[in-house]
Amino acid sequence: MINKMIISNILHRPIRTAVSVLAVAIEVGMVILVVGLCHGMVNDSAHRVEGVGADILVRPQGSSFLIGMSEGPMSIKLADRLRELPRVLAVAPALVHVNAVQSLDLIYGIDLASFDAVSGGFVYHDGGPFQGPYDILVDDIYARANHAKVGKTINLLNHDFRIAGIVEHGKGARRFIPLATLQDLIGAQGQVSTFFVKCTDPAYTEKTADAIKTLLPHYNIILIKEYMVLMSSNNLPGLNYFITVMIGLAVGIGFLVIFLSMYTTITERTREIGILKSLGASKAYIISVILREATLLTAVGIIAGFIGSVIMRKALIGLYPTLPVELTWDWRLYAASLALIGSLVGAFYPALRAARLDPVDALAYE
Amino acid sequence: MPSHTSNPSGLGYVWVSSDRSVCPPAIFLTPQPAEGEIKDQVEPIIRTTNLKKSYRLGKVDVPALRGVDLVVQEGEFVAVVGPSGCGKSTLLHVLGGLTGPTDGQVCVDGNDFRLMSDADRTRFRRHKIGFVFQRFNLLSTLSARDNIAIAQHIQGNGFNPHRFEVVTRLLGIEEKLNHRPYALSGGEQQRVAIARAVICEPKILLADEPTGNLDTENSQVVLDMMRELNRTFRQTILMITHNPDAAGVADRIIRMRDGRIISD
Repeated sequence: MINKMIISNILHRPIRTAVSVLAVAIEVGMVILVVGLCHGMVNDSAHRVEGVGADILVRPQGSSFLIGMSEGPMSIKLADRLRELPRVLAVAPALVHVNAVQSLDLIYGIDLASFDAVSGGFVYHDGGPFQGPYDILVDDIYARANHAKVGKTINLLNHDFRIAGIVEHGKGARRFIPLATLQDLIGAQGQVSTFFVKCTDPAYTEKTADAIKTLLPHYNIILIKEYMVLMSSNNLPGLNYFITVMIGLAVGIGFLVIFLSMYTTITERTREIGILKSLGASKAYIISVILREATLLTAVGIIAGFIGSVIMRKALIGLYPTLPVELTWDWRLYAASLALIGSLVGAFYPALRAARLDPVDALAYE
Repeated sequence: MPSHTSNPSGLGYVWVSSDRSVCPPAIFLTPQPAEGEIKDQVEPIIRTTNLKKSYRLGKVDVPALRGVDLVVQEGEFVAVVGPSGCGKSTLLHVLGGLTGPTDGQVCVDGNDFRLMSDADRTRFRRHKIGFVFQRFNLLSTLSARDNIAIAQHIQGNGFNPHRFEVVTRLLGIEEKLNHRPYALSGGEQQRVAIARAVICEPKILLADEPTGNLDTENSQVVLDMMRELNRTFRQTILMITHNPDAAGVADRIIRMRDGRIISD
């Protein structure tokens, strides 16, 4: 009976219901998408570094583990010293440039031969390796997003680059240019930002890393498996705060809308509450009616948020193919729990207010 | 000294003493009379002694009841008449436990309101009182059937199909049970409201101007129904009315003025 009354109330006020459901859906969708986007970008970046095929990363002294956070403070000559170490199969120096024109992405300046030695070589969907200093390789996702074709030109660092090849995605960056060209263009002659080191056998990774640490004691030596652990939102400076703030905003929106919705509904239904009290409904009964109504609105909002986030993800990927959005079930559950708690907290004061209404005043309410 | 104990029905406090200068023994509430209780004397179902009720308006206390002494026996049909503002509705609200008295004694079905908390009075109302209002006060989003059934749900005893059928047949609303209040005439709405009020077999039916919003024909139908309920179920009814014809249906007419009973 109580459920029937709640459903009748919800259906009786379609605009209020729609607004409340929409607010919860936005709250849930926002949490899922913001987290999905952050985690997607971090994980995508991590997996692409892993996809290079190296076992160890050598980064400059005092640098962050984040590739791209330091441009080129290491001498390329270190590559030869690293190659001389036992159990080192290949070393690929890379200069990483953060491009912030039109989109935010990393450009790898690579020595194709050594990069191929570490990564096992690019898989070309079209075209082939660099033919000249102003050639560029782009991955298939970038090509799809930007309608790039072999032979077309891309303007980068105020220079036109000819697309020499379209490669399978997943090896570091989405765009690659010759190392020497990037060094010239950014004034980092003879310098690189990362060495990708591949061991003769992955089992030797720790031993090789120890050898590198002995050789380059103050450098940042990171095993790829450590790097994958480090590349989480918890370890990225500011990202966790950003996610927390966005979640806080989303929950705040949901809380306020449910609060307002239930507060308004209590005012609208003062007389109804008076009727229930005249029938002997206890305070707990009245609170239960209001909280159940808020729960039902939230549940519908959560489902709408789930569906909305899937649709939004498809739309985002359709519009921006390079944008990775990871929707995970644990975050869906977390977002749903947050929405539910926010709604119940938001509905509690109106429910308490309704329960405390004087029945005589409530019955006389016009 | 009288003592009170928990009522087995969970309705606050029930007096089990035979000292009736304070409150009559709870012969209606307690399943088994207390030892030594006088069993052969019928006690009033409602007894108020020097009942006073004031409302606070700003910084001023406005007296609505100025010392009402009232006794109603079980099964009586009592009409309370008087001009607007004389305290009739306040009396009804106090007797129904919707609000507490400011002073004086109120004993309804053996329950002394002075000893009852808000929650106790709510429980008492749920089990012992049925209200009928001038404006029907049906829940607009529910059908007639659900408006009646919700009273049973709030009472907590679940849906009683037999009682439901008897009451709705008696009130002639079997055909209208699936209608929402807006699809019912005033008379039909009031009959649904009466059905809701009596579906849980309350000890007392309190009706506040039940014909106030009805035309003559529907008023007569509603009054006939109430008379029938009184006869069929020996339902105690206290009805407030402005309408002398409506008051004429009752067994007894009480007149009020300025918060006092002036004739009985």
